[in-house]
Amino acid sequence: MELLLLLLIIIPLLTAFLIPLIDIINKKARRILVLAASLAEFFTFLFLVINNWDNIADGTIFIIYKMGGWLPPLGIVLSLDMLSFYFSLLITISVMFLILYSIGYIGHHEGKYYVLIFLMWTAMQGVVLTGDIFNFYVFVELLLITSAALIGFRRNKKGTIASIKYMFYGVIGGLFIFIGIILLYSNLGTLNYAEISANFTTLPFNTQGIISILFLIGLFIKLGIFPFHFWVARAQSTAPSPISALLSGVVEKVYIYAFLRLFWVVFDFNYIQTTGLDKIIIFTAITSSIIGHILALQESDLKRMLAYSTIGHLGIIIAVLTVNTKLAIIAGLLHVLSHLLMKISLFTTAGYLLQFVPSHQIKDSRGVAQQNMFVFAGFIIAAAGMMGLPPMLGFFSKLYIVKSFLDNSYYLSALLTIAGSITALIYYARYIIYGFRKIKLNSPQEFRLILSVLYRERLVTNIALVFAVAVLITGLIYKNFFGPLESVANILYNPSIYIDFILGG
Amino acid sequence: MIDFLEKWSFFGGSVLLILIGLYGVITRKNLIKIFIGLSLMDTGINVLLVSLGYVEGGIAPIITSTINNNSYNFVDPIPQALVLTSIVIGVAVLALGLGVIIKIYEKYNTLDISEIRGLRW
Repeated sequence: MELLLLLLIIIPLLTAFLIPLIDIINKKARRILVLAASLAEFFTFLFLVINNWDNIADGTIFIIYKMGGWLPPLGIVLSLDMLSFYFSLLITISVMFLILYSIGYIGHHEGKYYVLIFLMWTAMQGVVLTGDIFNFYVFVELLLITSAALIGFRRNKKGTIASIKYMFYGVIGGLFIFIGIILLYSNLGTLNYAEISANFTTLPFNTQGIISILFLIGLFIKLGIFPFHFWVARAQSTAPSPISALLSGVVEKVYIYAFLRLFWVVFDFNYIQTTGLDKIIIFTAITSSIIGHILALQESDLKRMLAYSTIGHLGIIIAVLTVNTKLAIIAGLLHVLSHLLMKISLFTTAGYLLQFVPSHQIKDSRGVAQQNMFVFAGFIIAAAGMMGLPPMLGFFSKLYIVKSFLDNSYYLSALLTIAGSITALIYYARYIIYGFRKIKLNSPQEFRLILSVLYRERLVTNIALVFAVAVLITGLIYKNFFGPLESVANILYNPSIYIDFILGG
Repeated sequence: MIDFLEKWSFFGGSVLLILIGLYGVITRKNLIKIFIGLSLMDTGINVLLVSLGYVEGGIAPIITSTINNNSYNFVDPIPQALVLTSIVIGVAVLALGLGVIIKIYEKYNTLDISEIRGLRW
C-alpha cells in the first residue's frame, strides 16, 4: 500500500530511462511505451484513491513510506496528506493528458522529448510527495534542468535564449533555497520536514527571518513574481505548446505547493505575520499581478500574452494565500485548480489554432474561427474563465478571492484583482474578435501552412476540448470542491497533525 | 589570530567564493564567464556545507570492531552526502548550460550578452 507512493515517482523515472533503450530496438514501440507508462501512472494513482476512499472523503488520509525502512527523523520519507494529495491529483491527471496531447503534437525528436517530459513528471511528483527538505531541493533542480532543456527544444534563436535565461534565474533561485537549507541544517541538525517544523520556533528570531526570506526569494524567482518576472514570457512562449501548458499550468502550481508546504507546515507562519512580512508579500504579489496583466495587454504575440497572464494570476494566488484566513486559503486553492485547467486549455487550443495561421501575432489570427469552430469554442470557454465570467470556475474562484480580500480589508488588492479581470477581458476579446473575422478562402487547405508538425489532428483537438469541457463542468459543480479544500486548509492550519503522523508513525 | 583563522577560514573562504561568483555573474558580459561565476557560487556553497560537518581531529563515521565507543569525534556524514548530490546537480546544470551556449554561438555568432537581444535582463 505504502509502496504506491514510491511507484508514483518510480514509474515515470523508469520510463524515462527505458525510452532510449526502446528507441534502439524499435522506434514504433516508443509511443506504446509512453502511452502505457502514463496510463500506468494514472491507474496507480486511481488505485491509491480507491483504496483510501473513506479517508480521502473525510480528509484524514495520511500515508507514509519510509525509504529503506529507516525511521523518519533519520531516514528519508515520502508522505501523502490531503495537501500533497490535492496537488498530486492535479499533476497526475493534467500531465497524463498533456502527454497524450504530445503524442499527437510533437512530430520530431520524439525520443528526447519524452525522456525529458517523464523526468519532469518524476520531479513534480517528487516535490509534492517528499518529506525531506534536501530531497525537495534535488527534485526542484531536476525540474529546473528538464524544463530548461524542454524550453530550448525547438533549437531556434528564440528557444536557446529563453532556455539560458530560464536557467540563470532558476539556478540562482535554487542557490537561495540551498543556502536556506544549509542554515536550517546547521541550526537544527535535521532535514526532515516534521522535525524542522517541531523545532523551528526554538530558533533565534533573526535566524528564522533570514531562513524565511531566503526561501521566499528562491521561490519567488522560480515562480516569476514581480521583481524576477523577466524570464516568464520568453520561456513559456517559445516552448512547444504542451510544454508551455505544462510550465504555466502545472510547474508553477508545484512551486505554489512548495510555498504552502514550507511556509505553513514546515516554517512558522506566525513569524511572517508578526513581522509584517505578509503585507510585503501581498504587496509584491498584487503588484506582480497587475504588471502581468498590463504587459499582457500591450503584447501582440498570442503565446506571450498567455504567459504574461500567468504572472497576473500567480500574483493573485500568492496574495490571497498570504491573507491566511480559511476562506482565503480555500479561494486560493480553488483558483489553483481553475487556473490550471484554464491555462492548459488555452495553451492546448492555442497550440492547435496556431498551426493554421502564418505567425503567432494576434493580428494574423484572422479566420481561425472559420475552420476550427469547436477548438475555437474551447478557447473561448477557457478565455471566459480567465475573464471571470459566471458559469466558469474562474468566476467563482475570483469571487471568493475578492470576498476574502474584502473581509480582511485589503481593499486595494480586491480592486486590483477586479481590474486585472477587466484587463483580461480586453486582451482576450481582442484575440477572439480577430479570430472571428472572416477572410476569403480559395481552397480549404489554404490555412495549413505549417501543418507538417501536427500529424494526429483528432487526438490533439479532443484533448484540447477535454480541458475546455473540464473548465465548464468544474464551474457548474464548484460547490463540491469546498469540503475537500477545507480539509486541505485544516492540514495547513494544524502542522501538529503532520508532525505527529510522521514522527509518531 | 591562528585560532580565529582556524575557526573562520572555512566560512570566510566559502562566503568569499560565493561573492566572487556573484560579482562574475553580475558584471561579466561573456556567457561562459557568467556560467563560471555560477559554478563558483555553487562551489562556495558546497565548501560552506562541507565545513559544517568538520570536526577537529574527527574520524570517518564508520562503526568497526576496534572503534565503537568514541562516537563523539565522528565527522558529521550528512553534509558530505549532501555535497556529493549538490556537486552532481551543479555538473548537470553546467553541462546543460554550456550545451545551450554552444547552440547560442551557432545561432548568433557571439557570446556577448549585450549584443544578443533579450538577454540583457
